[in-house]
Amino acid sequence: MIAHDVELPPLQIEKLPSGLTLLAVQKRGLPLFHVRLSLPAGACEDPRGKAGLAHFTLELLRRGTRRRPAQDVDEMIESMGAQLFTDVSMEEGALALTVPAELSGRALDALLEVALEPAFEETEVAAARRRTIAALHSDLDEPSNVAGRAVVSLGYGPGHPYGHPPQGFRRDVDTFQREDALSFHATRCQQQGALLAAVGQPTPQELIELLKRKLAQWESSWPGRSQRSALQFTALPPSLATRAVVIHKPDATQAQVRIVAPGLPRSTPRYAEAVVANTALGGGFTSLLVDAIRVDRGLSYSVSTRLHMNRRAGLSVFSSFTKNETLRELVDVALEKMREYANSGPTQEALEKARRYLAGLFPLGLESHEALAEQIADALLDGLGLEHLKSYRSRVLAVTAEQAREMAAELSPARDGALLIVVGESEPARRELSGLCPMEVRQLEEFA
Amino acid sequence: MPLSEKDFPVEERRLGNGLQIRLLPDRSLPVCTLYSFFRVGSRNERPGITGISHLFEHMMFNGSKKYGPKEFDRRLEAAGGTSNAYTSNDHTAYYEDFASEALPLVLDLEADRMASLLIDDASLDRERDVVKEERRFRTDNDIDGMLDEALGALAFLAHPYRWPVIGWMSDIEAITREECERYFRTYYAPNNCTLVLVGDFETAAALREIERLYGGISAGDGLPKIATGEPPQKGERRAVIRYPSQAPAMLAGFRGPSGREPDSLVLDLIEAALSAGEGARLKRALVYEQELCVDAHVYFAWRMDPGLFEISLKLNPGVDPDRAEGALWAELARVSDEVMSERELDRAKNLVRSQLLRSLSTTNGRAHTVGQMEVMLGTWRAMLDLPDRYATIAAADVQRVARKTFPPHRRNVVTLIPGEVEA
Repeated sequence: MIAHDVELPPLQIEKLPSGLTLLAVQKRGLPLFHVRLSLPAGACEDPRGKAGLAHFTLELLRRGTRRRPAQDVDEMIESMGAQLFTDVSMEEGALALTVPAELSGRALDALLEVALEPAFEETEVAAARRRTIAALHSDLDEPSNVAGRAVVSLGYGPGHPYGHPPQGFRRDVDTFQREDALSFHATRCQQQGALLAAVGQPTPQELIELLKRKLAQWESSWPGRSQRSALQFTALPPSLATRAVVIHKPDATQAQVRIVAPGLPRSTPRYAEAVVANTALGGGFTSLLVDAIRVDRGLSYSVSTRLHMNRRAGLSVFSSFTKNETLRELVDVALEKMREYANSGPTQEALEKARRYLAGLFPLGLESHEALAEQIADALLDGLGLEHLKSYRSRVLAVTAEQAREMAAELSPARDGALLIVVGESEPARRELSGLCPMEVRQLEEFA
Repeated sequence: MPLSEKDFPVEERRLGNGLQIRLLPDRSLPVCTLYSFFRVGSRNERPGITGISHLFEHMMFNGSKKYGPKEFDRRLEAAGGTSNAYTSNDHTAYYEDFASEALPLVLDLEADRMASLLIDDASLDRERDVVKEERRFRTDNDIDGMLDEALGALAFLAHPYRWPVIGWMSDIEAITREECERYFRTYYAPNNCTLVLVGDFETAAALREIERLYGGISAGDGLPKIATGEPPQKGERRAVIRYPSQAPAMLAGFRGPSGREPDSLVLDLIEAALSAGEGARLKRALVYEQELCVDAHVYFAWRMDPGLFEISLKLNPGVDPDRAEGALWAELARVSDEVMSERELDRAKNLVRSQLLRSLSTTNGRAHTVGQMEVMLGTWRAMLDLPDRYATIAAADVQRVARKTFPPHRRNVVTLIPGEVEA
């Protein structure tokens, strides 16, 4: 029944004296084993002037260890039929592997070797720097990518720990040296604040024992304890008037549009209200904005609003795109509908639909080995606990019209002071947006 | 090791009107996925109506007799579900992921649109605009899309694979309501559909409901013949695109076998050896060692008719495309000229096997795989012995298929050069 909370599979959590949290989840069925190491090494930890260092360091881990060169690291991992997954979010750096069940021990050894014993050879660091700069350059060809980079850079603003894309900027990457990667690894690849998760067929107790056995073999490889200074999370700067930034993309026949306003951190006690209010506005295929922009007017193929919820701050973001000639129409409709919604909140029907939509689909987000490990690990690391997942359905279903209305006003991306970002050909964009709000044109390269 | 049929207790049925049904119960989570695979894609089109399969996919969400405009997704989402669809060269697939208690509603929604889809001019015009935006997004303003479109037109002269699934812009603009209605009557009949239900349901009850809702829909007439001919390629073909990009790019394609031919499995392994994982040959040589590319990857998908083995290179800014191309041909020549080591072949087999297992780890993934096997290989059971079939492939097979597929006269190459088109 949709009204019932979801029962998590059998699992065990153990926090070691070192500060490392172990998570073991039993998942019967397919003979697969998944391991994920989450480290307190997210993009928010990038030192000032070194945007992208977390991402750079995590990507370098696989380019050779103290035991074997890069090519042999690849062979060690991929001969198991696995591909090493690395991901750097704002909060954490994660490494993960999924292998056939019988290779669980080998997978753990491979993951720990890569995470704990990187060589950071000078030649590999230099090559990685060239590759990263080329990739950042190349990413400018994708308008949606540029828009995404602009959302975090401009939405949080310079100086904020979340105020740069995880991949960093070319000007910063260009300065990365071996010592930067060594230092980042030594201070952020710490057991304190890290989580090692295993998902597989054995019982949680058996999985925990396997993790402990393997960790004992790698105990001496962890960097020594290190104290990091606390990050400064200041409030997002208030902006009183809406403004527009047009990022010039030559020859684009379509404009990417983002409307950005401050949102909420993931730890907000009003999490359920926020996701319900956002879903009714711009989630799924039948939201207010999808109806107004796509279904009724055919202005775009894709319309959404999304809450970027990080641990200590967040953004509320409207996303869409349309041909250059209908840019103004799309922006006007989006602003009008979002302002109306901020005043009225969802209708009773829309509220009910959003609640059941979120509750009904929730179990699908916990289905694969990878999703189970990631969702549970994130809930624990964000300090939300298992209850965040267990009670998700009932919390979502309990959101009232009044709560949703309050949240609609608080989270609307169309508030005064919102930021409109357009990636497209600048001349038609300027014409289309003329008279709407103060506007500046920026060059694509500024966002590389 | 083959996958065991006892882990996949698929119930098979066919209704009197030809509707093929595959049911796979799994009570581990309170969710279901329903897929409706229709055997129609851009392969069934003709010049003038290219893109109609995809446009039609959009039209399927615009109302039917019982559930009017906007009702399909509204009812579904209100019951805790979501839907989507995709169109390929060969088929069109619709799916719903949903809380299991919504099963009766989902079956009713799907059966209703198969029985009585409504197509009116106003909704067609709106959906046409949406599809044009999708085309601008995926093709006109996207380098991979531009290259892919040009490669199809280069590699195929006669076969419908020569036009893009999304269709030419001028055709999208011109497709009429009458053509859509004819398309629906022809291809959206129950005897052209495979229904796959996976998840938390009771088999007998689900079957009764399917029979009640779909049983009365009339079977369609036979399907029109498809122009599947294609003359042999007698020389290398090339095309150039000029676009104000940051860096050059290249997409090469070699015509290969159809998905049902055993050699397609060998090409799956070659794909893995060349581009799956960071240690794959193309990544190692072109990205890491020679530093010519930001990314190099291979895309080989089974198709109903002989399809394309595609290799995409995203070059580093400033790299001479000729140099990158030369490095690519050298790597392909190695596959043809040298016997692949057992170690490397095992690596490829393990990667392909793991990919198959992972695709079966979700409800949606299992439903999609069952349906895809039915429409591409004729039976869902094909997935059970796939691991064994890959395991029996020898290094000599890899060399034989590489020699057959990659000779220079079979190359089709599209290069994107940064810059404006000269007026």
